[in-house]
Parts: sequence; structure tokens; C-alpha cells
Amino acid sequence: MLKFGKNNIRIGRIAVIAVMLFFIVLFLFPYLFLGLSSFKPSYEVISIPPTFFPKKLSIENYQEMKNYINIGKSIFNSVVAAFGSTFIAVLLGSLSAFALVRSRTKLSAALIAIVFFLKMIPLAAIAVPIYRIITYLGLYDTRIALVLALSATNMPLVIWIMIGFFQSVPVSLDEAACVDGATPIVTFFRVILPVSMSGIATAAIFTLFLAWNDFLLSLMLTSTEAKTFTVSLSEFLGSYQINLGPMTAASFLFSFPVIIMAIFLQKYIVQGLTAGAVKE
Amino acid sequence: MMNKKVLLMFFLPGALFMLLFLVVPIFQMIINSFFTYELGGVHEFVGFANYQRLFTSKAFLKPLINTAIYVAVAVSAELVLGMILALLFNNPFPGNTIIRSFLLTPLMIAPIVAGLTWKLILNTQYGILNSLLVKIGLISNVNDIMWLADPKIALYSCCIADIWLTTPFMMLMLLAGLKGLDKNVLEAASIDGANAFQKFFQIKLPGILPVLLTAVSIRVVDAARTFDIVWVLTQGGPQNSSELLSITIYRTLVRYNEVGYASAIAIVFILLLLIFALIFMRDMWKPKRRNA
Repeated sequence: MLKFGKNNIRIGRIAVIAVMLFFIVLFLFPYLFLGLSSFKPSYEVISIPPTFFPKKLSIENYQEMKNYINIGKSIFNSVVAAFGSTFIAVLLGSLSAFALVRSRTKLSAALIAIVFFLKMIPLAAIAVPIYRIITYLGLYDTRIALVLALSATNMPLVIWIMIGFFQSVPVSLDEAACVDGATPIVTFFRVILPVSMSGIATAAIFTLFLAWNDFLLSLMLTSTEAKTFTVSLSEFLGSYQINLGPMTAASFLFSFPVIIMAIFLQKYIVQGLTAGAVKE
Repeated sequence: MMNKKVLLMFFLPGALFMLLFLVVPIFQMIINSFFTYELGGVHEFVGFANYQRLFTSKAFLKPLINTAIYVAVAVSAELVLGMILALLFNNPFPGNTIIRSFLLTPLMIAPIVAGLTWKLILNTQYGILNSLLVKIGLISNVNDIMWLADPKIALYSCCIADIWLTTPFMMLMLLAGLKGLDKNVLEAASIDGANAFQKFFQIKLPGILPVLLTAVSIRVVDAARTFDIVWVLTQGGPQNSSELLSITIYRTLVRYNEVGYASAIAIVFILLLLIFALIFMRDMWKPKRRNA
């Protein structure tokens, strides 16, 4: 090893950087292409041959997209559905997770297994029964329907993430609070939650992204009033090529804030993804 | 110490949500799968007829095979790419963290946006990929490869979008595994003169195997459930060549309104996933105890 010395290390470094650059280009290219396309004039998006960089910068696509979809309303619906469902899923999910962790019975072990099973149910399979329940409750095409359904479908994930975090909270902590005369619910919110904030943040950010990106449930449960942005986006598909320009603008507008957030909140996203699989 | 009654009160509200929107739908499906439904709400008990029809029908076997191919191609490509990236990022080099942040961007993009993006890139006429391939001389005409319109390759084209979207996940998991390896062992191997390949196959790979298997299992289940990406790219076409089970279920229900048959497909699908989970994810059933 010594006989190659520094040169070998330097060549290795250069190779690593070259491969790295290749991957960066590969992974950034699609999204960059979408972003750049959105700032082309509408005709250039479908020009033959295609261009990568806009020949002419234009915000035409952004002005045009409001002719195809109701932007304000569908963004509002997406925001309500995402934040509302995240609040419920994290609040109730973490309470459930805490109960599962603290009651060391065979039943709770079985329930944990059931939650894990529910986490992997394909949404496409249960979307229609959920649709029936929502219709039965008279909630079709309401934002409440989306909030309820998304809270429920994301709850197993919240429970899964929070179980991992609550396991590292020592029982002596709740015992001490109980001795001081605090009620269980006060103990949970004043003592347990503050030391599990990192887990709560992970679960919240994760469910927020999932709910924001949801397509299938919104497709099934809404039509005109509570339709979210993802369903609006999909409507560009049925139309002619001419709408692809505004489609790129809408896609970019919808996903760009999320990506910026994701970069800043990376730590929590990594925690959420690796929950239950990697010991921190 | 909290008593059982209190814990039950903690557990119930969340459990009710899951009961109403996850457990009840599953039971409803099980019941539905034994009936045929006709317009006007008439339904008839048919026993296992829906299941019989399913196992003898090409309309089920084809998407089942498609799903298996989709999972196998997407997940193995993600594993290989993710491993290369994880090994690279495990070395300290200037800009490591920043570059990693950028590579993670696809992770939080909505699958539907990923689908739309790739639909634009893979288009035969005005898609940039074919135009690039012509430029570097790999194909002579943009019509040579019809990514989404050729029944032979549409399914694999859909995999591309999936690979782009979730390779970062695989990389993160494997990287977390690599970071958890004992550095002393690796150093000792270096001193003993082990080369990079020996270190990878004899130390790193066995060391991260549990994490790797978990990551693969999670991805297998997720890839099998894919709906949005394929729906946007091809809607399962052309000629059902890229139809996955989740699309078959959706279509059977929404387009053809065959509740009983679609429920039977869904039940078999869920059972297959469950069997997979029981075999490969046993260790995950009980979350690992973390020592704090």
C-alpha cells in the first residue's frame, strides 16, 4: 500500500469526484429540466428538437396555468388536508404509540404487529371502501373527508416512528411525574412530549410530505370543491399537448417549496426514513 | 406508573381512526369478494367464484407478473445505485454534506410530479432524452425508442422514474448502515493489506446486511404498491403492458364497477404482501430496543 503513496490517493479522490459529478447531473437533471421548461414560452416546451435551456425566458406558462386549474383553491385544499391530517395523525398517533410502548402485554405486542401490517396496505386496494365510508358519512368532496382519511392512513407510520422514540424515554420519568400528582394526560404533554420533540418533528414532517403528495385518496374522495393540487395536476394529462407548458409551471410551483423545505429539514427526514431499521 | 385504563384511553382515539378507515375497509373487501355486484345494487353470493376467475384470468396474471418485474427491476437498480452512492458518501471529501443534500431532492417530490417530469423527458417526439441519444449517436432517429408507447419497454420506462425517485432512500439507509460499522475492524483490515474489494465483500457487506435487507424489504412493499407514477406515465398501457396490480384494482373498480372481483384481487394482493412481510421482515415486527 505504501508504495503507491499520495498519487494513488489523489487519483482515487479525482475518480470519486468524477463519479459524484456524474450522479449529481443524473439526479438533478430531471427536476432541473422541469424547472427550466416552466420558464420557456409555451411553444418551446414542446418544440422539436427540444431545448434544455430556455431560448427565451418567459412567465407565460405561469400566467396560463390559471386558465386550466383553480390554483388558489386547490392549493388551499392541499394545505388544509396536509396540515389538518398531520395534526390529527401526530397527536392521536403519538398517544397510541405511547400506550403501546408502556403496556408491556401480549396484546400490545400483537397490536404493534397489526399497526405494522396496516402500514403496508396498498392504498389502491382500500381507496374504494374508504370512499364508501366517506359517502356514507355524507362527507364526499369535503376537506374534512381528506383530513380524516389521510390522518387514518398515515397514522400507522406515525405510531411506528414514535414507538422507536418512546422506547428510549425512561419509565422513571412518567413515574416521577405521577408521584408529583400530575394526571396522565398532563404527564404526557408536559413531561413525555418535550423530551420526544425530535421524534414528533420527524413524524410530523414525514406525514406532512406524504399528505401533501397524496394523489389517490384525493382522486377518490373529492371532485370539484375539495380537489387538491395533485389531482388538478393530473388533469393536464387528459388534455392536448398544448397544455404541457402550464403543466410544467404548475408542477414546479407545487413541488419547489417542498424541496426547499426538505433540504432544510433533512435531518428529520433521514430519521423518519430509517426509523425502525437503523439504530441511531 | 400509568394503569391499564389510562393506557387504553391513550390508545383508543388513534385506534378508532385506523379501525374506521383501514380495518373496516379490509373486512368490507373480504365480504365483497364473495359477492358479485350489478348495477342497481343487486348482489349475489358467489362463494369463491371471484377467486376462481382471478387465478384463471390473464387479466390478473399479467399485472401480477408486471408487478413482480417492476419490483425486481426497480429495487435491484436502486440497490446497486444506492450502494455505489453510499460507498462514495462514506468517504470524507469537500462538499460531502452539500452534495448529499442535493442528491436527496427527488426524495420528497410527489410521485405524480415525478411521473409528469419523466413523461416530458421520455416523450418520443419532443422528449429531451431521445434528442440527446440522437446527438451522441446511440440512435439515429427519435422514433427508434418509444419509451412509453412501445409495449415491450413501457414497463421498464416506468421503472426509470421510480429509480430516480427512490434511489436516495436506498442510499440513506445503506449510508446509515456503513456509518454504524466498527472503524477499528476496517482499519485493521487496511493494515493487513486488504484492498477495497476485499474490504467491501468481507467486512462492509456482511456488516450492513441487516440494514440492507430491511431497506430492500421496505422498498419491495412500496414498489409493489406503486400507483401514481405508472398512472401518470402510461395508465397501465399500451395494451396493459405496464399495468400493475394497483392499477388493475383501481380500474376494475372505477371503470368497470366490478366490486366483488376487484375486492378479490385486492385481498390476494394484500395476502401476497403479508406473506412476503412474514418471511422477510420478521425482525421488524417488533421494533428494535434502542438503548438510551
